[in-house]
Amino acid sequence: MAGPPIDMKWLCYIVIIMCLRCEAANKPRRGRGSMWWGIAKAGEPNTLSPLSPGVLYMDPAVHATLRRKQRRLARENPGVLAAVAKGASMAVAECQHQFKYRRWNCSTRNFLRGKNMFGKIVDRGCRETAFLYAITSAGVTHAVSRACAEGAIESCTCDYSHVDRAPHRSRAATAANVRVWKWGGCSDNIGFGFKFSREFVDTGERGKTLREKMNLHNNEAGRMHVQTEMRQECKCHGMSGSCTVKTCWMRLPSFRSVGDALKDRFDGASRVMMPNTEVEAPVQRNDAAPHRVPRRDRYRFQLRPHNPDHKTPGVKDLVYLESSPGFCEKNPRLGIPGTHGRTCNDTSIGVDGCDLMCCGRGYRTETMFVVERCNCTFHWCCDVKCKLCRTEKVVHTCL
Amino acid sequence: MTGTIIENLSGRKLAVLVTLLLLCQVICFLIGGLVAPMPANTQTILGTVCKDTSVMKNDTSKWFYNRGKGSCQTVDLGETHHDLSERDIVFAFQMPVPREGERFDYSRWQQNLIGVLQLDVRYHSQMEVKPRSTVTIDARLAYRNKGDPDDEWKLYTQSIEKRNLDCDIDVKSEEYLYNCSTIPLFELGSLYHDYYLLNIRLPVNTPDMNVHIGHLQDIWVTVINQNGGFTKVWLSLKTAFFPCIIAILVWFWNRIHMLERKPVLLEKMLLSLGISLCLLNAPIEYLTLQYDLPFMLLLGDIRQGLFYATLFSFWLIFAGEHMLIQDTSSQSSLKQYWRHLSAVAMGCVSLFIFDMCERGIQLRNPFYSIWVTDLGTNLALTFIILAGISTGVYFLFLCYMVWKVFKNISHKRQALPTMCSVRRLHYEGIIYRFKFLMLATLLCAALTVIGFILGQVAEGQWKWDETIELEYTSAFFTGVYGMWNIYIFSLLVLYAPSHKRWPVNENTSDTQNLSEEIEFSPIPERSEISSLTSFIRKATID
Repeated sequence: MAGPPIDMKWLCYIVIIMCLRCEAANKPRRGRGSMWWGIAKAGEPNTLSPLSPGVLYMDPAVHATLRRKQRRLARENPGVLAAVAKGASMAVAECQHQFKYRRWNCSTRNFLRGKNMFGKIVDRGCRETAFLYAITSAGVTHAVSRACAEGAIESCTCDYSHVDRAPHRSRAATAANVRVWKWGGCSDNIGFGFKFSREFVDTGERGKTLREKMNLHNNEAGRMHVQTEMRQECKCHGMSGSCTVKTCWMRLPSFRSVGDALKDRFDGASRVMMPNTEVEAPVQRNDAAPHRVPRRDRYRFQLRPHNPDHKTPGVKDLVYLESSPGFCEKNPRLGIPGTHGRTCNDTSIGVDGCDLMCCGRGYRTETMFVVERCNCTFHWCCDVKCKLCRTEKVVHTCL
Repeated sequence: MTGTIIENLSGRKLAVLVTLLLLCQVICFLIGGLVAPMPANTQTILGTVCKDTSVMKNDTSKWFYNRGKGSCQTVDLGETHHDLSERDIVFAFQMPVPREGERFDYSRWQQNLIGVLQLDVRYHSQMEVKPRSTVTIDARLAYRNKGDPDDEWKLYTQSIEKRNLDCDIDVKSEEYLYNCSTIPLFELGSLYHDYYLLNIRLPVNTPDMNVHIGHLQDIWVTVINQNGGFTKVWLSLKTAFFPCIIAILVWFWNRIHMLERKPVLLEKMLLSLGISLCLLNAPIEYLTLQYDLPFMLLLGDIRQGLFYATLFSFWLIFAGEHMLIQDTSSQSSLKQYWRHLSAVAMGCVSLFIFDMCERGIQLRNPFYSIWVTDLGTNLALTFIILAGISTGVYFLFLCYMVWKVFKNISHKRQALPTMCSVRRLHYEGIIYRFKFLMLATLLCAALTVIGFILGQVAEGQWKWDETIELEYTSAFFTGVYGMWNIYIFSLLVLYAPSHKRWPVNENTSDTQNLSEEIEFSPIPERSEISSLTSFIRKATID
């Protein structure tokens, strides 16, 4: 008879603890939609199980960073997690390539639970954050589309231009799918990547606050760049191979060109603020029931430029809310490592030049002998034959 | 004295007929636009890099694929592997790609499969791609049918092929990709099996083989197949047109046999035009649903070529027969037109030879391409240029003849009021007939060309309304196909000999006309020669 009350007590205790933990987990509110970025680390070979291709062995710590909806998506689309991981690590690599010679060089931390991979910079709504959101969203779009083309994800959808049909997962729908494929074919790769990225990447962003709107806009911009960088290819196959019958398709761009395009947008990003009419809205709507913004309307908002003389940002433009912090000095509060010890180019007058990179602190010049691979010849498939050259190199390092 | 139906048809009847035919035309267009899907479907497949661990590399019973039981061990080409050689790397393409959680299979309604290769080559300052380098591909194609176990792939065909690689790059910087042109890889004339598997190796058998292709990252294959729905709509159109044209041909030939004279050249030409259209219409594609017929692509080309050849010859001869000046000596025959027709014949023969060289050899080896070797390219170009020149010569000829006919017509027009009523009626009939055909032909040709250009300019779908989606490409194909069927149908109907007698001269008051009529009384005796030639001859005697 003494059992149940104790059980009840325990239960209450557990519930209370869980609630407290929930509170704690929700603390970093602003960047919480981007916690999945940590999956990039899971894509590294040592945590990937080599035995079963397509099935990702997920570090529980990484898995814990995914939101419930993201986990559901991963469960429903086998193989998609590997693609997302690949997309995220591709995005990190691309970001580091694009920002190689800038004060902020897109450095990542070792993955720690509950912290963002790119550091606390993500908490600020600055340009750099805008780029991070855009490039990661683009990475997922690209990688998922690619995996669809490889056939690694079997649940990729078709773009039935002539049949308007809601996606159902029933036996009848399966038969209908086969019929539709035999009737009108199915050729879409980017469509699923785009839609999946919206579902997966935008999960945490409900589009209520200005910061969430900024994230949504930048995520969408990243996806749009993947879509618009696609190139059309055609093949004539009419009578005797003439162009009386011509079929065209879109080719997925290289991720590098997406990164280049996004970097251009980064340089011309626009600072925005909420349109006057909408600023008051969240405050007034102070009712208890969480007001769900319908999904369709989530992307239908217009941000106003901070400077009224500038034109309103387009879908492909990156937007930010506040000016970037200085990246010169170490700032533990924002997780900025500073430019101490970075190499710079003393002849350049650009951002990679020693004057700008070292923020006027001056730099140290060293001459060293480096042994490098040179005069390489590539032999298909996997063999690169190089000579080792000893070259003298002058290296400048910021103080 | 008989003429053709078109001369004797009343304006009202003609209007009704033309309206009906136009209605058919619109229906054909709309069937293509609203019912049929896109003519062809593409799937772009990224090659899975598989590791070939077997010792014997020439074993064609060993296949590499990435889905299903026994799938291969994958390799990431981004990293360096010192333990691998080029012989251990296989790019696997399993088609069709699964969608919606469902493993699709090809249907025989999808008719044919064309594969195009695309290489992603990364720039590396030390291993640039040479401007005109060749890539050697060891390609093997296997098939499997529904119900077979996952690993039971059977060899379909295998070949070692050379292809030219055209790559350029805008930003010469590390890790940027080259812009490489697409490479045609294979053409299957029949899609008989359910699943296909392509395994590609890039062998290095000699020291200079596959060395200048740069740092290859990925291989993409785009496969194009005809859409099942399009085939169904297309075949239904054919099945509908085929008996119609046969019926009208039988009727036409009966009509001619009811006459006491032998059929003249123009009627023979009309008949052969009808027959070639029947050949084009014959829905023999139904056989592909049951049998494996890889020669269908080639046969389709030949049937189309035959139809064009007869149509072009018909226009020439039609213009020639309406020249209104003709030597009286002989009944006109095909021999008279040998100079004109030789252009058509030459064009057709050169295209035929080209097609046999490309698609004919592809029957034996689907990976074959004539464009790879220099000799082949020159040969192909020669035939295509020959065909182009003959087409040019043909159209010059045709324009010249049409111009001459118009000159004669205007010349005869001036003389028209002085002629007797019977002859005037005949000449007017000839002129009317010629102008009608000219108008119809120009209209059809113009519509075809405009439709084609519109299709090229505006890619993809056309939207007239938010609710109606028109599949323009399919609409263009079915529309044009229907149009030429209707064109020939109406030619057969309207240019068949008429039963009607010439209207008895209404205005016989003119005595001069009367006398002239008496003078030409012998004509009605030999009356049933085609009206035009007989009267032209008389005119020249005049």
